[in-house]
Amino acid sequence: MAKEQKFFLPYKLIKSRASHFLSPIKLSTVFRFMLYRTNAKSLFITSALVSWSLLLANVLLAAESLRQESSNGLDLPFVNNFLIVVFIISVFGFQRMSADNLKGIDFIGYLWNIFAKGGIAAYLSVALYMVYRMVTNYSNVQSPLLLHMVYQVNFGLLVLFLAKAFYVWRQLILYHKNKFIQIAWDWYEILLFATLILTLLNFNYSSLIFLPLLGLIGLYTLFLCTNLKWVAYLTFNKKGRSLILLVAILLACYIFADFFYNFADSPLLVIDYTDVGFLLLAMFFVALYTFAAFLVALFSLPTSSVFEQKSEDLLNFQRLSQSIQQGQSEKQVYDMLFESTVKAADASAAWLEIFKGEKKDEIELCHQLTIEEEQIKRIRHLLLAYNIQHIDYINNNLDRNPGFRDLTLPWKSLIILPIKSKKHLFGVLYLLKDIEQGFDRETVNVLRTFTNQTILTIENLRLVHESLQNERYKEELKIASLVQDSLIPKKFPSDSWFEISTHAKAAKEVGGDFYDFLQLSESRIAIIIGDVSGKGISAAFHMAQMKGIFHGLMQQDMPPSEFMKQANSALSRCLEKTSFITSALYIIDYRMKGFMFARAGHCHTLYYNSMMDDTFYFQTDGLGLGIIRDKSYNNHVREMYYDYNPSDVMVIYTDGIVEARSPANEEYGEERLRYMLTQTYHLEAEDIKCAIINDLEDFTGPTENLYDDQTLLVIKFKPTQPSE
Amino acid sequence: MKITNQIKDTTIIITLDGELDASSSVMLDEALSDPEIMTYSKILVDCKDLNYISSAGLGVFISHLQRFEDAQIKLIFYNMQDKVRNVFEILGLDLLMTIVSDYEEAMTIADE
Repeated sequence: MAKEQKFFLPYKLIKSRASHFLSPIKLSTVFRFMLYRTNAKSLFITSALVSWSLLLANVLLAAESLRQESSNGLDLPFVNNFLIVVFIISVFGFQRMSADNLKGIDFIGYLWNIFAKGGIAAYLSVALYMVYRMVTNYSNVQSPLLLHMVYQVNFGLLVLFLAKAFYVWRQLILYHKNKFIQIAWDWYEILLFATLILTLLNFNYSSLIFLPLLGLIGLYTLFLCTNLKWVAYLTFNKKGRSLILLVAILLACYIFADFFYNFADSPLLVIDYTDVGFLLLAMFFVALYTFAAFLVALFSLPTSSVFEQKSEDLLNFQRLSQSIQQGQSEKQVYDMLFESTVKAADASAAWLEIFKGEKKDEIELCHQLTIEEEQIKRIRHLLLAYNIQHIDYINNNLDRNPGFRDLTLPWKSLIILPIKSKKHLFGVLYLLKDIEQGFDRETVNVLRTFTNQTILTIENLRLVHESLQNERYKEELKIASLVQDSLIPKKFPSDSWFEISTHAKAAKEVGGDFYDFLQLSESRIAIIIGDVSGKGISAAFHMAQMKGIFHGLMQQDMPPSEFMKQANSALSRCLEKTSFITSALYIIDYRMKGFMFARAGHCHTLYYNSMMDDTFYFQTDGLGLGIIRDKSYNNHVREMYYDYNPSDVMVIYTDGIVEARSPANEEYGEERLRYMLTQTYHLEAEDIKCAIINDLEDFTGPTENLYDDQTLLVIKFKPTQPSE
Repeated sequence: MKITNQIKDTTIIITLDGELDASSSVMLDEALSDPEIMTYSKILVDCKDLNYISSAGLGVFISHLQRFEDAQIKLIFYNMQDKVRNVFEILGLDLLMTIVSDYEEAMTIADE
């Protein structure tokens, strides 16, 4: 076995090392794409430069030979065409990649990109041509070589411009694209580049065969030029700026077109780029799209404010509805509401009243816009007189109303928007406008949506707040029940004199039941049971107090009635006014075979006497603790002594048992408890307890949430041990 | 829980209808804390429709008991259902408070 392991060890090592070597390769695949992009870009640039230089050289060579022989045309049309195609593809490829970097909705940036990186080329070409004309005019020498040079440079600039514009427009056409537009564009691009084949094969595109095809491509272009969604997203100002840029781009198109059109079929040149159909089509597309964008931007100028308003409304809705997640306060929500509604309605004056607390008369003026408090007071007074202060109200012509006319307000329209849910009125928003019919239906709808959203937001904010509070309350209750649980003894002393069985079930909210015991001497034990009024944390603390009093006082070993008197006096000083405690204290003496007890407002003790074979309740008087808080309490507590017989059963319980309810809302009652004991007294204490609890649960039905704590102690006295 | 007041001369009759539990005892406390109540010489509590009283409800009566006694205002309960009366008795309140069977009896005691 050991050998085998040794044998496998080196193999494992190799394997791990191999994987170690593999990991850098895997990593590199991540970067490969990036490398590929930069590689491709530099490849495009190189091939563009090389092809352009070769083309220039070739053209110059041809021009030179033309000048000398004057008959021989271009020698190598295929080579030239090939170089043209390579150049065009390189430049377009490069621009295609760099246009991918354009993202977002800064459309002015897109246009600026075309203008700065492409449009300038047109102006450069003009400048170049001017310089050429000046030089030739000045020196009065015709230089075909120089002309070719200028022509060639302009060709380069044209392709650069077209490629740039082509791919920026592509990005814009595909803005908010759907699948159909994507496919349409892809095919358009393929079709356009396919026309390069014509150039490559030196076909004349203007021949009759290709005319229908050109017409179709033209229609295709026209169709693509209708995709101008981005224009709608421009604001008024941006539209203005974009118009200027679009004109500049159109001008660039015109310059290039004019330049190349003038030199078309020129006898001075050995090459004519108007023969390249692709360029013509690309130019057609760029110019048409620019023109279309220009027209759309121009004609949407008057309506753009509407669109802006709507998109701002939408944005404000979003802000309102998101304010819960951002943990904003109610005040911030009202701020937002006020700001948004004033903007949406274009109100000239406004104010917002927020009601503080439940009562409606506590009004807080939390916002005011170009209106004085005095005016608000007067308007409110008038509204109160009309009894319309808290309802939806629109008055689009205040002058027609005599009441408002008397106020001599500078406004002519008023809308009142109460911010209220079904149950609650949060506040009222007042908007004023200085024109008649200021609040049309559209505006009112928008305003209502705003207020509704605000109500929703405020209510949700409150709910969130409440649930947090609840959470904290629950946490406190949990602690309180832990405290309560720790106060109740987990086990009684097992003794040969009696057997005891206990049951304690806490209600969901902490109740105040408790019991405890104290061994007073070898033959005497004190047992206390009690119920603190009220629930929750205060009950738990009072329980703890009572436990302390029990242990403190019983150290001195006093009779039960004396205990109750002293406990009452002690509790009088620390119990809150509405609280009281019911309790019963039993001191069992095995040697005397008797027990002494006192009841302080606690449930009567149920007893089974085996000698008389009788079950009954001890009917003794006794006032609860903390009800009378002076010496007169001493007259209200009685003590009783009772001799027990072997097999006697004592049942001690709290009101949670006898007041337990059935689904039909009947109480379990003392009588049913007594009946249960008559049926079960012969059993062991544990079995008696189980029988009673089972019967109780049958009676109440399956309920998870107890209304009150249930505590039950069953004590069964045993015959004297033979050894005693 | 419904608490209604009815005033007859120097007597105020408070009628309790329903279950007096922890939440409704707050209403009762408010009603009994009203300073105006100290202007009457008798407070009669009609318990005919009081179906249940919790320790919190009892606590409210207990907390006001001393105040009424000091001001020599009589607090009298009547028409009490047996199970509610049992709760009062177990706690020993029947010895502290005046609980009578009906309105006539309550009025005669009150007029003493």
